[in-house]
Amino acid sequence: MNRQNEFPNVHNSECETYLANPDVLSAYIDKELPTWKRHLIGWHLKRCGTCAHHLQRLQHTDNFLRGAGDVEVSDGFLDGVMARVSEAAQHQRQQGSFGSRIHGLIKVSIGWMPSLTTLAGKLRYNIRTRSPVYISILTFAVFTMVGVTLYQPSGDKFGAELRELDNEKLISFEVIQHEPPKRLLTTYLQGK
Amino acid sequence: MFVSDEDLMMKCRKGDTGAFELLVRRHQNPLINYIHRFINDYHRAEDLSQETFLRVFKSAGRYKPTASFKSWLYTIATNLCRNEVRNRSRRNTCFFEDLVEEGEDVYHTEIMRDTRYLPDVLLEKKEQRQMIRKALAQLPENQRVALTLVTYQDLRYEEVAEILGCSVGAVKALIHRARQKMKKLLIKAGIGVEKIDE
Ligand SMILES: [Zn+2]
Repeated sequence: MNRQNEFPNVHNSECETYLANPDVLSAYIDKELPTWKRHLIGWHLKRCGTCAHHLQRLQHTDNFLRGAGDVEVSDGFLDGVMARVSEAAQHQRQQGSFGSRIHGLIKVSIGWMPSLTTLAGKLRYNIRTRSPVYISILTFAVFTMVGVTLYQPSGDKFGAELRELDNEKLISFEVIQHEPPKRLLTTYLQGK
Repeated sequence: MFVSDEDLMMKCRKGDTGAFELLVRRHQNPLINYIHRFINDYHRAEDLSQETFLRVFKSAGRYKPTASFKSWLYTIATNLCRNEVRNRSRRNTCFFEDLVEEGEDVYHTEIMRDTRYLPDVLLEKKEQRQMIRKALAQLPENQRVALTLVTYQDLRYEEVAEILGCSVGAVKALIHRARQKMKKLLIKAGIGVEKIDE
């Protein structure tokens, strides 16, 4: 049976105006359209067999789906959930007490922050007010360091002796004197 | 006096397990049915429902009353279901769609009753339910989720959009496509136009 015959069929440009997107009909079924649009579409549906038929089939599909029965929750379900929830709540409480201890520690450490800030502030003030003194001390220190670095004691004499030593052998030997008994250490240089 | 889900949830934030029990009582049936429709395994549906409630309780501290409780609940449930389906397909064990294609009874895990003495009406209801489940199983996941949430969970498009992380317009399109496909599938399954039109 053609359901379209039951409706006055004026399928025309109105369909495109109101039902440009076919999903509008689904939204109409689900009451997801603003009132003004709902009224307009309702008015069109009264006059358009094609759209009304289309809507009816969608509506029947929806009704059929809703007609399906549900499964039942087993008897122990709620108890099972609540047992696990109580366990979780207890765990959270324990964690809460541990957390509060950590929180306390953080609070104590944060308690030091104001004194640190005061110290930094004082230091900043000192630097600002006594900068000439600090600058002169710093300049003196820099000059001393530069001076020490640049001053090298002349090593020429020393170097000459060392160079001579390179060409000679340093010989050391012990001499044992019997009368009076004495141990003597003799060192001399021997040319190579 | 009726206390809203959102108010109960605010009490849960303060550790009120009594308020939470009331929430579980209110939502246990729809939730288990939603999960059952999603994963098609009754016992796993109970496990995942329990897990969902537990996660809701644990995350109560992060709950803001601006979001509806139902969106919160079904977001958690949907994520768990998606993971379950993904894990099953990874393990290659009885994947949802496979069962349907093989034409097996996908409701074997449901609590089975002796149907010999059941009145015809109940038998018909059972058949109807099986047919619907098989048809639903053939929808793409997002279409199935959107249609299930609107049809059985009575969620608004806006809430579904929140759960799926898409726009309201996208939900509207998903619902319409799902309904169109369901209509065709049901006709194909023998519930012809005439029967639907009755
Ligand atoms: Zn029309």
